[in-house]
Amino acid sequence: MTTISATIELAVWEALATVPDPEIPAVSVVDMGMIKRVDVVGDEVCVTILPTFTGCPAIGVIKQDVGAAVAALSGVGSVTVETTFDPPWTTDRITEEGRARLKEFGLAPPTGEGPVLIANIGLPKRAECPFCGSTDTHNENLFGPTPCRALYYCESCRQPFEQFKDV
Amino acid sequence: MTSKSLISLLMAYGDDELVLGHRHSEWTGFAPHIEEDVAFSSIAQDEIGHASNYFMLLAELTDDDADRLALGRDPSEYRNAVICERANGDWAYTLARHWLYDAADDIRLDALERSANKELAQLATKMRREERYHLIHADMWMKRVAHGPVEGRSKLETGLSSAFAEAIGLFEPIELEGEAVDEGWLPTPSSELKSTFIERATNTLDDLGLPTEVRASLDESAEFVASSSGDLIASPDGDDAKPTRPTGLGGRSGEHTADFDQLWGEMTKTYREHPGASW
Repeated sequence: MTTISATIELAVWEALATVPDPEIPAVSVVDMGMIKRVDVVGDEVCVTILPTFTGCPAIGVIKQDVGAAVAALSGVGSVTVETTFDPPWTTDRITEEGRARLKEFGLAPPTGEGPVLIANIGLPKRAECPFCGSTDTHNENLFGPTPCRALYYCESCRQPFEQFKDV
Repeated sequence: MTSKSLISLLMAYGDDELVLGHRHSEWTGFAPHIEEDVAFSSIAQDEIGHASNYFMLLAELTDDDADRLALGRDPSEYRNAVICERANGDWAYTLARHWLYDAADDIRLDALERSANKELAQLATKMRREERYHLIHADMWMKRVAHGPVEGRSKLETGLSSAFAEAIGLFEPIELEGEAVDEGWLPTPSSELKSTFIERATNTLDDLGLPTEVRASLDESAEFVASSSGDLIASPDGDDAKPTRPTGLGGRSGEHTADFDQLWGEMTKTYREHPGASW
């Protein structure tokens, strides 16, 4: 039993690694650090998700996509997808791979290393332009097109760009 | 059995977020410049997202539907503080209210992180982290306008004079407040939160060189000021102070202003005209 459950769990993680964040399709929900845990009992799978921003409307789509990806696996009987704020999702959960993908996507990754202390949440001291790598940049707006992004301008390549906010 | 005082708490705070979020969203397309258009739209999205999380908790507790709770109630069933429903007025009033509201929200979320309801405590922790950006945004604008040209500063002072008085209404006790405190849902009574709020706000206003006196006009004739304890008392120079309610109170028991009727009509229109619609 344990072996079968472990096999299913591994397959579930592999499947989740192909589920994109709908607003940042270059990054999977696994690399976003959104999957808190996967529990397998018999052929029943429960995936627990940590929502990134509470006001992010993508969470409904993510739950649906996660459920569908897991349900398609052989050996899986039923799937439940739950969300929790325990612990709160924080930007340090984004993997190295996720950060690299964000940059390729044109989004400056969050800068905080390790758990972000609430008192330290705010604009990064320096935001690196994802296009040319310059740090000669300035913030244009604390907010952006989605709750998780801030707007910057690069003085070097003269491109506006977005930064994934530390939270 | 579901605690009625917990329901009361979730409804009051959820309604604050929903109603102010709706007001903020009215700047979409109309803010003084495009970056603030984006900022207020994003802040509105955060607040409405927070409201939806309060309503989801409420829906679980009462076996109801979060959309119905948000949009399917009669005006007298809403428990938001009056300041949240006020029309946006000018940019200076909007800014003053944004700064006051987010300071007040930070103080109560800090308390809610210790709520006996674990889900509410976890939600508070999460929301408070996001709200940091609202605080930074509001502080930046307060500094910029306070230290800027006299015209803007004077408009800000006017905005603050009405907004500060009504912001006190955010700490009007909720229905069943005593039970909510005793049962641990609200770990700090509203009166204590109010004192913390007044101290924090007046300290910042002092630093910015802005007037700190909290005034609430009453029928345009008598005035109230906040004492150091946070209670509203008749202003010594208000000539005919009656023991009637100062402006800005009543929201927690469902007494709203004409501004709310206008907002409610618009906010709930689609829900009322297309029952059961989903999007």
